[in-house]
Amino acid sequence: MKNVLVAGGGLGGTIVANRIAQKLSNEIDKGEVNVTVLDKDDKHFYQPGFLLVSMGAMEPGETHVPERSVLDRHVKFLSGDKGTMTKIDAANHSISTADGASHHYDQLVLSTGSHLQFDEIPGFTEGADTFFNLEKARDMWKKVQSFTGGKIVVDTAMLPHKCPVAPLEVTLMLDDYFRKKGIREKVQIDYCYPVPGVFGIPNVNRMMTGIFAERGINIHSQFTLASVDAGARKITSKEGESLDYDMLVSVPPHKGAQVIGDSGLGDRRNWIPTDKFTLLVKGHDDIHAMGDTTDIAISKAGSTADYESYTVSHNVAADITGTDGKKTYPGTVFCFIATGMDQATYIKFDYSHPPVPPTPSQIYWWSKLAYNKLYWSIHARTMI
Amino acid sequence: MLEIKLYKTIDATSENCTGPIGELSSAMNDAYVGEGVAILLGDEPTRDDVLVWARRTGNEVAENISEGGKFKLILRKVK
Repeated sequence: MKNVLVAGGGLGGTIVANRIAQKLSNEIDKGEVNVTVLDKDDKHFYQPGFLLVSMGAMEPGETHVPERSVLDRHVKFLSGDKGTMTKIDAANHSISTADGASHHYDQLVLSTGSHLQFDEIPGFTEGADTFFNLEKARDMWKKVQSFTGGKIVVDTAMLPHKCPVAPLEVTLMLDDYFRKKGIREKVQIDYCYPVPGVFGIPNVNRMMTGIFAERGINIHSQFTLASVDAGARKITSKEGESLDYDMLVSVPPHKGAQVIGDSGLGDRRNWIPTDKFTLLVKGHDDIHAMGDTTDIAISKAGSTADYESYTVSHNVAADITGTDGKKTYPGTVFCFIATGMDQATYIKFDYSHPPVPPTPSQIYWWSKLAYNKLYWSIHARTMI
Repeated sequence: MLEIKLYKTIDATSENCTGPIGELSSAMNDAYVGEGVAILLGDEPTRDDVLVWARRTGNEVAENISEGGKFKLILRKVK
């Protein structure tokens, strides 16, 4: 019996487990292979939906389902203490879980994701709204609805973070929301970013800087968030700039999973050193890493994990069966970018080809919404 | 030349939403004072942007070399 363990039941772990199970279904049926997903949580969240929840464009209940319901029937799923990983022992090819069990693996996929660090910036928890988890996205939507005028600051505390286009999206959605409400002239919007410009890819930076200028959105970059003073409603940057706000919408700092750090597999931010083409953890030929988990200089986005899953699932199955050559990941990423409450553009690129975002239109907005609806029935279950 | 302990090496030769300076700023944030971060870059304008960023943020450029059309910088954290 050979064991494939998938660490993490988020978007990446779920999709890659389903693809592996589909490729190895005969071996699983014959009792020769086990594919098991480990995660403490038994809910599967579609995290890109949180942005839409925070702006009232998606219902909170649409963002999650039971993890078991989207896993292939050939995949075993352990959650709670049974799925809470406490140590990954690469030398002995095993993972320990909180229930005291040890799980041996022949092939391991690490898809443990990125995690929000609200306490890393003084005052952040008390003073900032965010849409990076469901509870806070719901709270933010209440505040957006009741906002009648004043200063809104959209700030990104630190790079990298999941869903890199989200700060652009929320800024432009807020702008459009208040225009449609007829009170845009009463709302000042300031966008703070920790590196020069508003985004890391030159083509996108040029397009978005132009849109920000057209919409009267003020840019503060480079602005590296140092602290939030919730009482005085003021943020201060490491560069020495201070801004007052009435509502602060901020992206918190991110880190890789604690179990990665506890297992000595990551850097100081718990990102795992990973080969950008093979997606193998450096120094380990039986450990694959994907999604937000890696230290690859690539977008931490659901689409990244999805595209990577084709490579990882193929290579895991090839290693288990020994019947096929290996694939490499070309760096493909696709993201819709909302530019308002009813329009969007998109970027698609890979390691060698930069994105050329098209002029924003309603077609891409409806495509974004349609994709969110289809995620559960088609994508998570890897029908495509 | 003074030997520098490297915290990490970043391959920023490919397209990436965070961008080379975004990746570098995060690594420099996590590096200890005295440590270096190496970054590989795919073109000269990006190299120049990183040099401007290094000066602005007070990070020392300890190495600046060209290798087969690519560029490698090592920045040392000094404060």
